Amino acid sequence: MKVRLSKDPMNVIITGVGGQGNVLASRVLAGMLVNSGYYVTIGETFGMSQRGGSVMSHLRISQKSIRSPQMPQGGADIIIALEPVEALRVLTKYGNPDVAVLSNSRVVYPIGVITGELNYPSLTEIQDILQKTTAKNWLIDATGEAVKLGNPVLSNIIMVGALSATGLLPIDRRSFEKEIARNMTADKRPINLLAFDTGAGLI
Amino acid sequence: MGNEAIARGALEAGVNVASGYPGTPSSEIIESLAIVAKARNLYVEWSTNEKVALEVAAAASFAGLRSLCAMKQNGVNVASDFLLHLASSGTRGGIVLVTCEDPGALSSVNEGDSRYFARMLEIPLLEPANFQEAKDLTRWAFELSEEIRNIVVLRSVTRMSHASGNVICGKLPVKFRKAHFVYDGSIMDPLRGPVISTPVVAKHTLQQEKLKRATAIFENSPFNTYSGPKKPELLLITSSACFLYSREAIGMLELQKRVGILKLCCTWPLPPKLLKKHLNSAGKIMIVEEVLPFLEENVKTLAAGMAGEIGIKKFYGKMDGTLPSVGELNPDIVAAALAKIVKVKYKTLSTAYTKELRKAAALIPARELTFCPGCPHRASFWSIHNAIALDGREGFVCGDIGCYAMGALFPATGYHTTPTLHSMGSGTGLASGFAKLAAFGFDKPILTVCGDSTFYHAVIPALINAQHNRADITFIVLDNSGTAMTGFQPHPGLTVSAMGEAVPSVDIAGICKAIGANVAISDPFDLEGTCKILNSFLADKGSLNVLIMRQICALSPEKKGKKIFDVQVNEALCLGESCGCNRLCTRIFRCPALTWDRSKKKAVVDEVICAGCGVCYSICPQKAIIRTEAKKK
Amino acid sequence: MVSKAAKPSSQEILKKNVLNADLCTGCGACVNLCPYQVIYHDRTVQLHRCDLDDGKCRAFCPRWEIDLDLLRSSLCDSADLTTEIGAVKGYYLSRAADPKLREIAQHGGTVTALMELALTEGLIDSAVVSAGNQQREQSGFKAKDKTSLRENAGSKFVVSPTVAAFNQIAAENSGNIGVVATPCQALALAKMRLKPLQDDAGHIDKLKIVIGLFCGWTVSQEKFQALLLLNNIDPATITGMDIPAGKTALVIKTGSGEKIISFDHVESCIREACRYCLDSTAEFADVSVGSARFGNEWEEMRGWNQMIVRTARGSQLVDLALHRGILEVRKAPNGILKELKEAAAEKKRTALKNIIRKSGSAKNLLYLESSDPFVNKFLEKIKR
Ligand SMILES: Cc1cc2nc3c(=O)[nH]c(=O)nc-3n(C[C@H](O)[C@H](O)[C@H](O)COP(=O)(O)OP(=O)(O)OC[C@H]3O[C@@H](n4cnc5c(N)ncnc54)[C@H](O)[C@@H]3O)c2cc1C
Ligand code: SF4
Ligand code: SF4
Repeated sequence: MKVRLSKDPMNVIITGVGGQGNVLASRVLAGMLVNSGYYVTIGETFGMSQRGGSVMSHLRISQKSIRSPQMPQGGADIIIALEPVEALRVLTKYGNPDVAVLSNSRVVYPIGVITGELNYPSLTEIQDILQKTTAKNWLIDATGEAVKLGNPVLSNIIMVGALSATGLLPIDRRSFEKEIARNMTADKRPINLLAFDTGAGLI
Repeated sequence: MGNEAIARGALEAGVNVASGYPGTPSSEIIESLAIVAKARNLYVEWSTNEKVALEVAAAASFAGLRSLCAMKQNGVNVASDFLLHLASSGTRGGIVLVTCEDPGALSSVNEGDSRYFARMLEIPLLEPANFQEAKDLTRWAFELSEEIRNIVVLRSVTRMSHASGNVICGKLPVKFRKAHFVYDGSIMDPLRGPVISTPVVAKHTLQQEKLKRATAIFENSPFNTYSGPKKPELLLITSSACFLYSREAIGMLELQKRVGILKLCCTWPLPPKLLKKHLNSAGKIMIVEEVLPFLEENVKTLAAGMAGEIGIKKFYGKMDGTLPSVGELNPDIVAAALAKIVKVKYKTLSTAYTKELRKAAALIPARELTFCPGCPHRASFWSIHNAIALDGREGFVCGDIGCYAMGALFPATGYHTTPTLHSMGSGTGLASGFAKLAAFGFDKPILTVCGDSTFYHAVIPALINAQHNRADITFIVLDNSGTAMTGFQPHPGLTVSAMGEAVPSVDIAGICKAIGANVAISDPFDLEGTCKILNSFLADKGSLNVLIMRQICALSPEKKGKKIFDVQVNEALCLGESCGCNRLCTRIFRCPALTWDRSKKKAVVDEVICAGCGVCYSICPQKAIIRTEAKKK
Repeated sequence: MVSKAAKPSSQEILKKNVLNADLCTGCGACVNLCPYQVIYHDRTVQLHRCDLDDGKCRAFCPRWEIDLDLLRSSLCDSADLTTEIGAVKGYYLSRAADPKLREIAQHGGTVTALMELALTEGLIDSAVVSAGNQQREQSGFKAKDKTSLRENAGSKFVVSPTVAAFNQIAAENSGNIGVVATPCQALALAKMRLKPLQDDAGHIDKLKIVIGLFCGWTVSQEKFQALLLLNNIDPATITGMDIPAGKTALVIKTGSGEKIISFDHVESCIREACRYCLDSTAEFADVSVGSARFGNEWEEMRGWNQMIVRTARGSQLVDLALHRGILEVRKAPNGILKELKEAAAEKKRTALKNIIRKSGSAKNLLYLESSDPFVNKFLEKIKR
């Protein structure tokens, strides 16, 4: 199933806070796309930044070739954020008027905010920025749903499920099933599939 | 992933032995090989440090096997002493040293460029420029090494090692080699004689001949490619991830018809004929590379030698400031430089839009790195800080490399205890030196920390130095049972090897005792007990004191997702901002899971983030933080 | 929540003006009120940074912003006031009636006897006294009965953070409290009694009686321990210490006999803060007790105390003690009150001189108000 991309390359950023499962989300998403025959280049940083810092994966999806693992500034087509302020952080560097943003609404406070040295914008401020700077945006409580499913770690898969429902990328439940059949042990598949469906249901 | 591609390339080349020391961004190479070790009949090990790793790999080469040794950039410095001698003794079976470097220091405390080692030690250097090449070039590196009978360096960078892209795999060999080590031939016989770097001048001559052979091979290597017009207005010469940035930048500016790219995978020694051909084609040349102007220097040296034939060129790069001489590059930086040289504009966002973005940027709080929730290091530094403060003589900690380096990188995270941070093991050496300054009126108590893996890597000689020279330091091992920063690779303190086999563990306490130190062990989660031991150590003059703070890393597979305690804040007891507490937990302790509700003015535990270590229970003066044993899942 | 106006925090004030200025008495008034201030080996340590500018640490410190005039007018009868030794409602030579207590007490056992009475009468539920460890490091100890009171009788010339223990006990779900205090500790407790901070009012109301000790100086634990070591004395074997009248030496009683250390050596161990202390008789206690050593009559008098009753609470307790026959009193020899006052005046003069030397000006008396009328009397005397 290889659908023509609306743009080539399609630039996707998955962002979040170290420990939220950013890397897994980008791997799963890339796997789904590679299985369908696209070239996918992922640029990731991990190591130290996973210690509570901002993390970001660049996914460049193309029908033609691999691309630079870092995309140009202002060049994101889709931003998927596991944490709302991280959506904004990425937006300020890679945003453009046509960008679509899908963000988890659950906040992870930076240490500077916890200590009181910094401020965290309110949810309305965040929504307001998204409204003004994106073509489309969704703010969903993926973590809340994940907790309901029994494990907050599932929020990344919920986001992938939600992404599939937005129709922004050529991915669906079948490609997800195929990917997890390859990369997950059988006992983990049902709960992840449930998370994927939950995510899709949020859009 | 680039690192997986390198591992695959090694497998396709029929690698027999792989060794390394974990370090971001190199670790996944050895990890990937370890997974298939049994299936592919390999020997894979995490060595105690990079020098030992290279020695292990070299032994395999001497025995005619193919071997790979992987490390991060600073590891090459550690291995370099052996590497110098190895390069001059020569090798037998194909041997490749893979160095994964970190321009921009995304996960390092330096952005060292070890390509200079290849030039200094006169060995060939290869740099893949995409994921397919990461695999293919690795495979080829083994052949090259065997062809010239010397070690080959393959250099990757974070954006290559930790980036992923489509790779088409080749066949895996079906035949396995047998080890033979022959040494009864003449000393000058590279295949049958003893493997030694002497007679030095004769062997050096031989080494340089090998390098010439490599140069000749490089002239026709299919890995050096050119794309662009025949006579480009501007020629980019580039390697590694910078090739991808350059290509992207040319695309962004739509300069495909005006600018050419010469992508070099064989970057030392440079093939002069190939270069001559391309230098001849353009008047303006920009060299795009990370981090230091290595390629630029070498291209310019060649160009100067050929100036008579190719004429005078205009060079752009790091040396003239066209590109930044520090940090990593990206497509935007390259595009900006390109745009300037060929005088084009590249489209920017509307000012109204960028204004909105700027407004948004002002609202975004910075996210400082910190220890994970439940991290033993937070508790350890808490006790270290308290012990130093109670002691009252302004003692300090010499920091070291590992997750606990964050105690130095972000002063408030280490509670302002740790003013120095250098290479692995240096904390102990520095402490040993500081402790000898009493004669000059410097009588502060000196502490140092190191992780369990770092202990084996480079600390032991410094510790022996401290003991032998009577440097009274308090030496702390932050033992979290694994090489946490790089992803829990086993080390000599554990009972399982890289390949999952049972191995004897080497006891840190036993080593310290044998050196003659006083040794104590504490659980860093026991704040009071740990602090007491530290204070008795600080007060004790005349001996080397070792405290092993033992508590498993919060992210370790056996702990992750398993809370010891359910932790909550009793709002009725929480004093918050008032005198009597003033938010000790959220203002000073700084656990990401213990947050502050600004409207209620009370502390709250974020259950989703909380790892359930329960340490905050011990610090709350009000006993407002309640912990109850978590139900086992 | 941007940083507040750059007013110095209470902690910084303490650090700059008290701790770093060597004025800290080690009383412990700033300790156990919050997690930031602790006592370690008789040093007051600020563990972490606190940015509050109206903290309790500063509020109760006896070496910061002391308004003696206000304390006198709030806590004493103006008719009782003397310039040298504070309020005097009654003055006695006293001793415990129980000879067993006298044997273990420092002098006459008056202090322990009064506290025992307060406990048994239910006036207080616990008494804060000073207890030492093997190294003779002192800490405040909560005595709930006669036995534990007697176990901790006797003077320890090492600083005790007694007020820290009071702070802790008062914060617990405890009943009423009595405290045995040196003058600086009594001053801190007096400052608390003025209730400068609303949320601690409940705690301080539990304080029912303060028995003050006369005090010339205390020694710093660390230095004193070194001195003991130098004299081959194991701190753990010490059973008592005293300063015999007319002698310039410290007598140390150990399991294996007495050792004498000359004041020349002890001098260097004296806590720096004591040199700036004007109070030798615990002027802000309810009852103050000291030795009754007078020149030639030492042997006879060492089993007696001088006792000054200062407040109504103090007289009630002392009257009850006399009524129950727990205390014995005798007539004071001629001139001894005068001698006491002279000694007290001498300490005030010396301290003022030291304060002025430190501050560099008679107008700046560090923690004291230079306008205080009583202080001024002594200031004039120094000038002359
Ligand atoms: C440091 C110090 C210096 C002194 N200097 C003088 C002086 O110069 N002139 C003078 O006349 N008298 C001085 N005294 C007082 C004297 O030593 C006796 O404490 C006093 O006479 C009471 O005797 P007593 O028999 O009633 O005491 P006891 O019945 O033996 O009771 C003594 C009480 O004092 C407490 N105590 C002991 N050491 C300390 C301490 N360091 N801090 C707080 N509480 C403590 C004990 O726990 C006990 O409760 C000093 C006392 C101390 C502690
Ligand atoms: S330390 Fe305790 S009292 Fe202080 S803010 Fe935290 S929970 Fe509240
Ligand atoms: S004198 Fe008392 S209150 Fe003041 S700083 Fe020292 S211990 Fe704290």
